[in-house]
Amino acid sequence: MEETHGKGPRYGMTIDLDKCTGCGTCMIACAAENNVTVLPDESDKQRNIAWMLLYKITNGKPFPHTEVSYFPRPCMHCEHHTPCVSVCPATATRMDPNTGIVSQIYTRCIGCRYCMAACPYHARNFNWYDAYFPKGKGLDKYLSPEVSPRMRGVVEKCTFCHHRLMRAKEKAYAEGRRELEEGEYITACAEACPAQAITFGDLNNPNHKVSKLAKSPRAFRLLERLGTEPKVYYLSSKEWVRKLADNYRPEELQPVIKTKTG
Amino acid sequence: MGITRRDFVKLVVGGVAGLHVTPLPWKLTDDIAIWTQTWPWVPVPPIGAFNHEKSVCTLCPGGCGIKVRKVDERAVKIEGRTDFPINPGGICPVGMGGLQLVYDKDLRFTSPMKRVGPRGSGDFLPISWDEAIGILASRIKGLRLDGSPERLVAIDGNRRGSTLSQLISRLMRAIGSPNYIRCASVEDTYWMLNVLMQGREGPIGFDLENSDFILSFGCGLLEGWGSPGRTLNTWGMWHEQDRKGKVKIVQIDSRASNTASKAHQWVAVRPGTEAAFALGLAHVIIKEGLYSNEFVENYAFGFDDWTSSDGQKHLGFKSLVQKKYSPSQVADLTGVDARTIETLARNFAKARAPLAIFGKGKALLNGSIYEFMAIHSLNALVGNINMPGGVLVHDPLPLKDLPEFEPDPIAETGLKKPRIDEADTKKYPFTEGLIYNFAKAVLGSSGSAVDTLLVFGANPSFTEPDGGLFSRALKKIPFIVSFSPFRDETALMADLILPDHTHLEKMEEILWPPTLQYPFYGVSRPVVGPVFKTKNVGDTILELAKALEEPVASAFPWNNYEEALKVRAKGLFESGRGLVSYEDQAPPWEQMKKGRSPKPEYTNFDEMWDAIKSSGMWYRPIHSFKNWGKIFKTPNYKFEFYSTQIQLAIDELSQTTDKPGQTVDIMAIRASRDEVFLPHQEPPVLPGKNSTYPLVMVLYEMINLSDSWIPSPPFLTKTWFDNELRKKDSFAEINPRTAKQYGLEDGEKIVIETPSGKAALRVTLFEGAMPGYVFVPRGFGHIAYDEFLKHKGVNPNHLVTTAKDALSGLPLWWTTPARIKKTV
Repeated sequence: MEETHGKGPRYGMTIDLDKCTGCGTCMIACAAENNVTVLPDESDKQRNIAWMLLYKITNGKPFPHTEVSYFPRPCMHCEHHTPCVSVCPATATRMDPNTGIVSQIYTRCIGCRYCMAACPYHARNFNWYDAYFPKGKGLDKYLSPEVSPRMRGVVEKCTFCHHRLMRAKEKAYAEGRRELEEGEYITACAEACPAQAITFGDLNNPNHKVSKLAKSPRAFRLLERLGTEPKVYYLSSKEWVRKLADNYRPEELQPVIKTKTG
Repeated sequence: MGITRRDFVKLVVGGVAGLHVTPLPWKLTDDIAIWTQTWPWVPVPPIGAFNHEKSVCTLCPGGCGIKVRKVDERAVKIEGRTDFPINPGGICPVGMGGLQLVYDKDLRFTSPMKRVGPRGSGDFLPISWDEAIGILASRIKGLRLDGSPERLVAIDGNRRGSTLSQLISRLMRAIGSPNYIRCASVEDTYWMLNVLMQGREGPIGFDLENSDFILSFGCGLLEGWGSPGRTLNTWGMWHEQDRKGKVKIVQIDSRASNTASKAHQWVAVRPGTEAAFALGLAHVIIKEGLYSNEFVENYAFGFDDWTSSDGQKHLGFKSLVQKKYSPSQVADLTGVDARTIETLARNFAKARAPLAIFGKGKALLNGSIYEFMAIHSLNALVGNINMPGGVLVHDPLPLKDLPEFEPDPIAETGLKKPRIDEADTKKYPFTEGLIYNFAKAVLGSSGSAVDTLLVFGANPSFTEPDGGLFSRALKKIPFIVSFSPFRDETALMADLILPDHTHLEKMEEILWPPTLQYPFYGVSRPVVGPVFKTKNVGDTILELAKALEEPVASAFPWNNYEEALKVRAKGLFESGRGLVSYEDQAPPWEQMKKGRSPKPEYTNFDEMWDAIKSSGMWYRPIHSFKNWGKIFKTPNYKFEFYSTQIQLAIDELSQTTDKPGQTVDIMAIRASRDEVFLPHQEPPVLPGKNSTYPLVMVLYEMINLSDSWIPSPPFLTKTWFDNELRKKDSFAEINPRTAKQYGLEDGEKIVIETPSGKAALRVTLFEGAMPGYVFVPRGFGHIAYDEFLKHKGVNPNHLVTTAKDALSGLPLWWTTPARIKKTV
């Protein structure tokens, strides 16, 4: 297949932090969709696995002016100099030039964890243990055949539910179409969010809602100054939330311009 | 010809260099990766035909539409339905994790069981269904032969008015026991409020979507309140950037919960003083003349002072709040300054559709009746009752009751015996079940007042307060039968298990989700066949009735549970209106405002029933708004600030008691005179609060932690932060100022002690916690289930020391005096 090098679809997402309620449904939808193992002790945050991870932040003000908020964090699918891709010695990870999705090929991964060190977003997890599916317990009964379960010793990460893209494409091809409609391919987290905080689509398609939202004055990205060009955008009008997205110098942070968006 | 050193070095260097230009090392790296990764124990999920089956989630009363993705007969994923009016697309974390509740064998009973080990050990022996039902039937027959059927007790956690509840209470009546005890929930307090102030028996609907000012009294809108799918969807909608008519959300809470943080304004009111705060707002609204004259003058009773027919002068709501609840008085009590109260009252009253909502946390636990009355008075003052964006007054769902039957003489005699929990008597006329009283009575009796206990859809050993009082009572009961699908704490104490299906395996009805503003009925259907040898509890009851033989059996003429559901659903058909599909329509709360009758989608009952079974829904998006002259069915046919119903209840009780002067004490009311009948702040009761217990423990709930009788699916363990649960320790939130007084650093271990018991946990320092209070999450601390939940954290229910709520006698949950000690 011919490579489009950025001119084809660029799948990405926006997460509206003003809508996000911190309920964690995205994390669970992600784990259920992608056969992510649940370890008996998930409180060991150095060793557990979560492709989509919720970060809790507070504004640090004293009672009763305290506020909390959340950053749901999938893989950012960095467009520029994808840090994990550039360091992988085993060619186990790659950014697909046709979709912008950063993949992970488990059977190529040698478990060196260089990519984890390189990722500025901690979006990669290492399988320190065998996936937890004790014999006869039944936890393997709900595994989806669309995503292969991983083994001890490899790194795994969010794939923007790549198998859902395959599913949508197959359906489109069967119906004689080459292009996907908006909404035909969305990630499990975007689909599950009960407050509709997550919007997924093609950032290169000006008609897609996600590309409009990504241009909103409320939009920003995590650690934007690293120049990795993440394809996950956050939306918030709260100053203190935006401030925590990067290590800003005081004069760098611009207030949100109040304009009509969407 | 020997090999020189030089030759050797050449060979090695050349070899190494040569190797690197061949693909061999790269091939080897790849192969090593592959060889070391193909372990036989890494599961390979079997492939098969994909399909989606639609149903409704029944893990909570919320009634979210779900579709289950299947590979052949295996369910592999739960997703939200977009063709469903309650939750267009999204679902909550518990529902999302629901597959594990079906397939995790260690969470479930895999067949009927009888206990072989000591109680609580979880040592059971599988038996056949015939044997299991036979054992229970002969036990019950024995009780009836002895002439003591009242020694059979049923505890029922199913919804009020559900067919399952009706079948269980019917079984109890046919056998002859008055001791059918329903677990209380916030719906009981809503129900009571509706009876006392509006004279209506029916659900309360909050029209959140059409309101423009939500004043939430501790409602955990983002913590799983009401129907979580609907509430969270509404939250997202409120925050649409291009939404017309912006909404303002004000949260009253004692800690910076998600809802408080994300609301437009957070007002930190001391827990337990919410009624006073509401009345303080009422004071300002009345004083500044911001209330609806039309409503208060024409459709309300007891606003002004009045004189009864016997010439006695009575205090009105207006005088009461003017006298006792001025902003400065309320400020002292609640800890909120008078200016804030005044501004909030004005903003509320001046909004287009202001709505004051109540039911704390997830709206799972019962509330306090006078507090609810005080808050609901605000809705009355602004005339936002039965108005778009207000509190809607409804009839109950038009379901038919199951046909009457005649109990036989043995049953007649049994039914005349007094109820063990004293609920639904003149002492507690508005309450359907008092588990606390039941446990006390069992522990207090010398012999065994109770012979056999049946437990349906409940796990009181875990969820009941007061230091495990209920669990202690269980030890005194000779025979316990659990119908739970799960190996929960109460079931582990049981002698006989008749396990129900889990939610994805069964047909079940969904009654009107709590707080929803339009009538809704749903049916879930089995999307996977029974994974184990379990049975729908509805069918189990019918089979048990048959095994009990005549005359009990003839009260249950239905062949299966679905037949009983259909008998009742006939009422929906006869009501003549109602939709059974939802595609591309305007949402029901918009349709309601338009007032157009929807087109009927069926011509006979069978068509309607088949449609409900396949779509999962029946709902009626029409409502006659306002109608103030007709909706109130109180003795005065008005909204009653002054509740005549309370007066009638007290009069009735005083006729039967030999101490008429103490009726108010018996009903646990601490106010006196006319205040008893009016919304007021009961003096906050903190049993034992003194220098021994200088702090107050407050419960809080999390949307990603189940605290009902349903276990948290293991997936949820991923979502807990490590300052919520760390290894086996759960955390208490305290303010850094409070921590300093105790010399506590973040993460340190403490022992918390209340009059009911003590427990070890860790502290997390949180600026958002009210100083002087200790906040403990509800839902950790199971001693049952499997490695994901067992022995993780502290169950705060057992630390809660409850006082009785006035009038209802139900427990006051939220505050308990406590002290903490640093441990090393």
